[in-house]
Amino acid sequence: MERPEITNKLTAIFRKVFCNDSLVLSNDLSAHDVEQWDSLSHMLLITEIENEFVIKFKLKDLNKMRNVGDMIDIISLKTDC
Amino acid sequence: MEGITIRNATIHDVPFLVDTIIEAEKSGTETLSYTTIFGLSEIEARKYIANMLLEEIDGCELSISSFKIAVKDDQIAAASAAWIEGLEGIPSNVLKGNLLNYSLPKECIERAFSVNHLLSELHINNISETMQLGLVYVSSGFRGLNLVGLLMEEQIVQLHKIKPNINAIYVQVFANNLSAINSYKKNNFEVILVKESYVKEISQYLPSNKKILMKKELFIK
Repeated sequence: MERPEITNKLTAIFRKVFCNDSLVLSNDLSAHDVEQWDSLSHMLLITEIENEFVIKFKLKDLNKMRNVGDMIDIISLKTDC
Repeated sequence: MEGITIRNATIHDVPFLVDTIIEAEKSGTETLSYTTIFGLSEIEARKYIANMLLEEIDGCELSISSFKIAVKDDQIAAASAAWIEGLEGIPSNVLKGNLLNYSLPKECIERAFSVNHLLSELHINNISETMQLGLVYVSSGFRGLNLVGLLMEEQIVQLHKIKPNINAIYVQVFANNLSAINSYKKNNFEVILVKESYVKEISQYLPSNKKILMKKELFIK
């Protein structure tokens, strides 16, 4: 899947999980930048991503994701398989 | 102090670490967020917490490597978790969220969706590259010995070896937990932030609707 398509889908997921319709994603966006990004929100975010892209992350993949850019890289790899 | 030793936790301590996490989460009440949010029984919650600890992911409150154990007269008396926030570039709440996502059944996660917006009101972001004191628990027969102070002192010494220039340690505590707050005050923590939710339902899920952030300045030698 191409990065713009992944970004569009991720934007919808982020807006739903963080209840924020004006949230704009960038590659650098991380948990430091979103006030409500706590452990529970993160768990839900990952679950929504897995459901939307029909993938399952390995724990070691999850723990490599420092920001949205890393997330897109890993989703791109998984959806190209 | 005589007869008390402080050591690193190992996988053999997992049952006591699970007790620590459960009791610290309850914060002196009977409200356990793992049961109220995820719909688990306490027995199930214990099983999943043990599994998450055994993944041995470093850098959060569910990391065996974050814990130190106080032993008195050959008995485990207390434990505390502390870590350097975001040492490897990933915040502790993200690491914990990854473990929850990876370990909990899907139906538990779905259940959490409906309460997420309520609970995030009390979230306080940890500051990167500061020391964070997480979960602390002293067994009932060993209270009054300042084991919290001894554990914390050792945590600070060890974490300073990893990152010597850190000058503060933070702890988050529910406002109802007066004994913990007083214990931290005795150990020179000060309240720097109070976060309160006025949504009534929050008391169904968490021990208190008010969370306190406390800070202790560290003097670098």
